[in-house]
Parts: sequence; structure tokens; C-alpha cells
Amino acid sequence: MLRRLLWYSILLSGLACVPAVASDSPYLTKRQQLMMLAESNPAELTLWKGEELFHEKRGPKNASLEACDFGLGPGVLEGAYVQMPRYFEDASRVMDLESRIIYCMKTLQGFTEEDEPIARKHSSADHTADLVALYTYIASQSDGMKWDPPMEHPMEKLTRDAGEVLFYRRAGKMDFGCVSCHSEQRKRIRLSYLPSVHQPEEWAKAISWPAYRIGHGVVRSSQHRVRGCYWQMRQAGLNFGSEASIAILSFWTDRARGHVATLPDLKR
Amino acid sequence: MYPWNHRTVMVTALLALAGIVGCAQQETSERSQGPDPLEMTPEAYAEYLVFESGSFRLDQPVQEGGDARQRMEQDEIQRLCSETRNRPPADVAGRIVRRARESIRYPEDGIQLGDWRKGAELARSGYGYRVGHRNDDPDRTAGGNCYACHQMDPDELGYGNLGPSLTNYGELRGQGESVRRFVYEMIYNPHAYFPCTNMPRFGVNDFLSQESISHIMAYLLDPESPVNPGIEPGEGERRGL
Repeated sequence: MLRRLLWYSILLSGLACVPAVASDSPYLTKRQQLMMLAESNPAELTLWKGEELFHEKRGPKNASLEACDFGLGPGVLEGAYVQMPRYFEDASRVMDLESRIIYCMKTLQGFTEEDEPIARKHSSADHTADLVALYTYIASQSDGMKWDPPMEHPMEKLTRDAGEVLFYRRAGKMDFGCVSCHSEQRKRIRLSYLPSVHQPEEWAKAISWPAYRIGHGVVRSSQHRVRGCYWQMRQAGLNFGSEASIAILSFWTDRARGHVATLPDLKR
Repeated sequence: MYPWNHRTVMVTALLALAGIVGCAQQETSERSQGPDPLEMTPEAYAEYLVFESGSFRLDQPVQEGGDARQRMEQDEIQRLCSETRNRPPADVAGRIVRRARESIRYPEDGIQLGDWRKGAELARSGYGYRVGHRNDDPDRTAGGNCYACHQMDPDELGYGNLGPSLTNYGELRGQGESVRRFVYEMIYNPHAYFPCTNMPRFGVNDFLSQESISHIMAYLLDPESPVNPGIEPGEGERRGL
């Protein structure tokens, strides 16, 4: 009897070590295999490349990005990403992390839109984009923290609220909106469980970009995700870093508020 | 699509007004181009983001002719479902159902079943009409992508569950005139029965041709189709059919 009790307590303590997961969320639990793999996320290679690039003196101005202000002061990376998108006075607009990195690559390093480090927005099988690497490194400095996008500036609020309108906005040749796939739990497209915007725990995991996408073999960003959604919805192509893209990111981040970010994540 | 619905007119008027105000402030304002978003409601700003901010590639040609701007302009059903977040109150739902019924066009030679084998391919294919960073070839037949949301052939394990299972659809209901008519209308414009359903309007939107619809209908209803392997005695009653 005592021995059995001991076994139970060991078992229970083991369970307690497993990251807290809503057991009724198939989006989270059906990904046990991914969670086990997550101990060795290939995104770490991208992260290391990003760390080097961040500190390296580059561009026409031969400067590093160490002086870049991601919202918490120049060079402060810890917790910066979970507090984005954010309104930046110097740029007079709301920016997501990717837009902010580009802004600093231009202002601090002197790169232009046409230069390879900015022009290449996404990675391919044989080339990791600098931008994705930097994004992965900076985002990783918020791993395990809670999403907490600021809503003090009126533009931050308006951007989030417009993002919510866009989320529910149905259009295009298939009448879809983001809402079509992300408003109910336990729903799948083919075999893929879809995260619901109404379930903050799974939503917080779902919006955890950058993530190494197993099906793509590279690290992808939130901009890449939202572009793919509009493509599948048969709406017009969404431009990288556009105001509309940031509005959607602002709404989706707000919906994960108070729940833990996994950075970088591992996805299907 | 109605390019000049009341919303577009409203937004345009608002932007024009904001433009006038903007001109007066040009000297002092950093945002000399365009209107001040903070003067807008979230709804108006969202419309501005879609059509005026350069966020979308509106000028890109699309497979059906014209450009991607058309894809972003909402018709009445899209607008009403967006505004009510897919939960239309009774009067709006009634209006949507009426509009949907009016929209349905039938094949001239009656609603016929095509080839279920071709239907099986179309039910699996998610190809067609995608634009943006990569464009689908307009010469390749567009698929209905039914398996994204529905179970059909029980041997196909890769099916979604956003919509109900359609396994044994024909087995349980037969292939009679009224069944064929209902299935045709559901594919053509499902809002005629389920206002603000997630399902696309494959007919109204010219996504599937009449021929493709007939093949998919055969896949659903033909007794030879693997979608209809047969049922255990009593299953029909259990499922209320």
C-alpha cells in the first residue's frame, strides 16, 4: 500500500513537471510529439546566427544593432518582443518586431530597402535570411514571458481594434476571414488542429512566432504566417510589414495577453 | 460584387473630409500625407487599411480577370456576416437567406450527376485562385477542397471537421430530384440554408464550374462512389434520417 502511494506520488510529481497544458485543447495536447522534440529545436541554429549578426558591425555606417530601441530603451532585448507591436515616436507609427529591426538596419546601419539583408524577408532551404535570424534572436529574449502588448498610445488601441475588424472581415473568392478557421476549439483543417482566438492558452502558443516549421524545414515569422493566411483565403496579397499586417498582429497579440510565449517555437 | 456599397461611400467621404482637415494642418503635422487615423472609427480605419494604405497588392491581376481589389470588396452577404460576426440576428439572417436564394442559378439541362471519379479528385484538391506572393495557374481546374472540412470516403483519413461528416451522404438520402436540388444549392450558395455559414459559395463566386459541381455531386450521391460504402442496419434511424 505504502509502496503504491509512493509510486503515485512520483508519478504525480512527474506530471507536475510537464508544462501546464489545457487538457481539453487538442491543438496543444495532440502535439505531444512536437513538445518532446522541442527540447532540441533546430531554430537554435537560426538564433545563434541572429545573435552574431546583432552584435556585428555592418552596413555603410559600420554599426551594430546594439543601440536599437525595441521599446524598452536602446539595446534592451529582454521582454521587448512580448511588448510589441508598439507605437514608436521616432517612426510615428506602430511597429512589429520585424518592422522595427528593418527600421534600425536603415537608421543605424545605413542599409536600404534594396540591400540583401533587408530585401530578403524570408528564408529558403539553402539560405537563412538575416532578418529571420535577427528576429529569432531578439524574440528568444522573451521566451517564457507573458504576452503584454502596450495599449497606452491611442494608435496602439486603434491598430488593435482595426485588427479585430479585419479578423472578422470576410471577403475574397471563398468568403473567408481569419474568423473562419480560428474561432472554435477542436476544429481541424485536414489533420491540423486549429488554434482558437477564444482560448488564450492555445492562442498564446499559436502566435509564438518565430517557429521552426517542420513542413518547411526553416524558421518562419508572424509576417510569413499572416501572408500565408491571406493567400489561402483567396484575398489580395498582403504586403510585408504593412499597416494592415501589423493591425492583425496587434489584435492577435492582445488576445494572448497574460499567457506564456514560447520563443522560438516548433510548429508542424 | 458591389464596388460602391454604402460603406465604401462612407469611407471615401470620411477620407475626403479628413483630407481637407489634413491640408489645413500640413505645416504642423508630421503626417502630411493622408488622413489622421485617430479621427476614424476602428471600422473606418480597417477599411482605410484595406483599400488606401498600400497594405494589400490590390493592383495585381487575378485569375477571373480584373485585379485583386475586387477580392477585397465585400458584397452584401460578406458584409452582413462580418458585421454580425457570423451570428446574424433573425431579421438579418432572413435577409441573407432571401439574397442567397435569389442568387442561385440552375444548369439549363437540369441538375445532373457527373463522374464521381473526377469528383474524388476535386474534393481533395485545394488548388485555384490564390494570388499574392505565388499565383495559381488559371488553366488548371480549381478544386473544391471538401476534405479540408468534411469527412467523405471513410478510407481517407486526412479529413477536417469544420463541417459535418458527409460519409454515406447518398446512401442515407438517395439521389432523388429534391436531394440533388438541395445538394446543388448547398454547393452553389449555402447561405440559402445556413446564413453566415463558414462554407464558401462555390457557385455564386464562380469558384467551381457547373461541370465541377456535377462531378462533386456524383462523388457525394452516386451509389458507386466510395463516399457511400453502405451502413449498418438501423444507422439511418440513429442519425435521424
